[in-house]
Amino acid sequence: MNLTVEEQIGEARVLVIGSLLVGIPVVNWQPMETLLKKKAKSTCVLIFDLTGVTALDLNGSAQILTAISRAEKVGWAVKTTGLPERFTTIFQLAREALARPMAPPPPRISIMEELGRTMLALGRDIKNLVAFTGELIVEFFRLAIHPLTFNWRNVLTVAERSGVNSVPIVALVAFLVGLIIAFQAAMLLKMFKAEIYVATLVGISVVRELGPLIAAIVLAGRSGSAFSAELGAMRAAEEVDALITMGLSPVRELALSRVLAQFLTTPIVTLIACFVGIMGGSLVLLAMGYTLTAYWVRAIERVSLATFLIGFFKSFVFGFTVGAISCQRGLTAGDGPRAVGVATTSGVVTNIVVIAILDSFFAVIFYVVDL
Amino acid sequence: MLSTSSLNVSPPVEVRNLTVAYDNDSPILTNLNFTIETGEIFGILGGSGSGKSSVLRNLIGLRKPRAGQIFIFGRDLWAGEGLHLNQCRHLFGMMYQGGALFGSMNLIENVAMPLRKFTTMSTESIITAARLKLSLVGLDGFEYHLPAHISGGMRKRAAIARAMALEPGLIFLDEPSAGLDPITSAELDQLILTLARNLGIAFGIVTHELGSIMSIVDRAILLDRTIQGIVATGRPVELAKMTSPPFVAAFFNRRPLSIPGV
Repeated sequence: MNLTVEEQIGEARVLVIGSLLVGIPVVNWQPMETLLKKKAKSTCVLIFDLTGVTALDLNGSAQILTAISRAEKVGWAVKTTGLPERFTTIFQLAREALARPMAPPPPRISIMEELGRTMLALGRDIKNLVAFTGELIVEFFRLAIHPLTFNWRNVLTVAERSGVNSVPIVALVAFLVGLIIAFQAAMLLKMFKAEIYVATLVGISVVRELGPLIAAIVLAGRSGSAFSAELGAMRAAEEVDALITMGLSPVRELALSRVLAQFLTTPIVTLIACFVGIMGGSLVLLAMGYTLTAYWVRAIERVSLATFLIGFFKSFVFGFTVGAISCQRGLTAGDGPRAVGVATTSGVVTNIVVIAILDSFFAVIFYVVDL
Repeated sequence: MLSTSSLNVSPPVEVRNLTVAYDNDSPILTNLNFTIETGEIFGILGGSGSGKSSVLRNLIGLRKPRAGQIFIFGRDLWAGEGLHLNQCRHLFGMMYQGGALFGSMNLIENVAMPLRKFTTMSTESIITAARLKLSLVGLDGFEYHLPAHISGGMRKRAAIARAMALEPGLIFLDEPSAGLDPITSAELDQLILTLARNLGIAFGIVTHELGSIMSIVDRAILLDRTIQGIVATGRPVELAKMTSPPFVAAFFNRRPLSIPGV
């Protein structure tokens, strides 16, 4: 592919020679660009001599028409000449197609507008979540009044999938967190010969804070994401719509068993996380020459009944939160396969944020009531 | 990068003794032989579960056939993998049933993407070329729309524009009329016909929509899983007149082969 420019008085001639096909090295329009810059201010006639074109497709036509458009934009009068007969149809087709008006690009959204839209979406989101929680609580009451009308087998199945099967991963994370906390604390307390208090620190922090948090966050990532994805896929496949048109409530039929399973299994998983977390911490003191009995006595002697109950209570709340948010995100997913991914991500992120907020809230409340 | 022009002496598709099978299962179709000629609209027809989509997956280089050869513009598609297969894939375009447009990109970006990846054209020329393709399929004015914001028929037309991005001499279409109303379906048929006649593009259409088959398909094969092969070949008007085998007559006359429960 070759391009040469011949300059004459009042006009210039651009000779395009060779093949303009996709896959062939594209035209180097630099000589023409140089000419346009040089004579940008003087109006001249630019003739595109296409006699030498040996092959032409739509993309090749697009290249020529782009060059013509550039020349016209800087004020040149443009003529095309010499295009071999066999290419006139395709060139004309391209020219006519490009003559049709193009849509203007969408206007850019200002930061303030974007911020406003985000805040409105957040407001809608919170309202939907509160409404869903309300609906769920109503269903809980209905279940308490008519427990025999509910299919409890579903709850057991979900509990096995979301609770029992989560135990290994929750235990692993809790064990490592207990170990890390004990190790970091031991490095510091060793300087004061007070390394035995590592057990007290690990005991209180794991039972009151870290056990429930670790269990909730891991369950949000593992079971909660599964709930959002399952229900999102059901919504995309119009299964949720099918339930509604049958006169059935998706919250009762789909969400209730999942939330209930999560609500009941999270405390059990939390207890296991607490035990394994404290065991993780024991490794550090065992390495320092203390016995396991000494470690355990120290670890649990400062864990009061109130501390234990606070952690246990939080695990119920976190379990309900994970189940409710994950199901709400799944049931309100948009259309199409992409929406399932969006709902799942949104469910996990919302869960983690809400769990962190609730935990902070509980910390303040229990401090105020002196627990 | 390959150009179809250098290969246009060979037919766009030549299938020799193709055996189609799911991964480890027994073959569903055996000994398929057919050719798609330049500028021809070729139908791969069959009932649900006849294996026509599996044939298509073999033709577009997504699944290796159990046996046989597929030549795309004279190049043996499955003679190698990796670079060879990718080079062959540039010789044809593909429109998936739902369009398979990239949801995060607007229409012009969808069409421009193959040009950005596989050509050295300037950005300005790429945008012009993408606009041109969209205009050719009647989507001028929708360049900045996202796929989610246009109708199913428009998505299919945009998918054809994207399939045309690298100027292939062959485009495969999977169920182009599926899910479209009769008017939109007829408009899409007209577009395929126009592109085939004006630009000489060959189309391989996998479908079971009788309306489209009768109005645009030049030649077709009809697949039947019970005989594991092609039950009839020819022009749709000729196939529609056949009284035997019974499957061909039932397919083209929209009749049940057997009435359930009788």
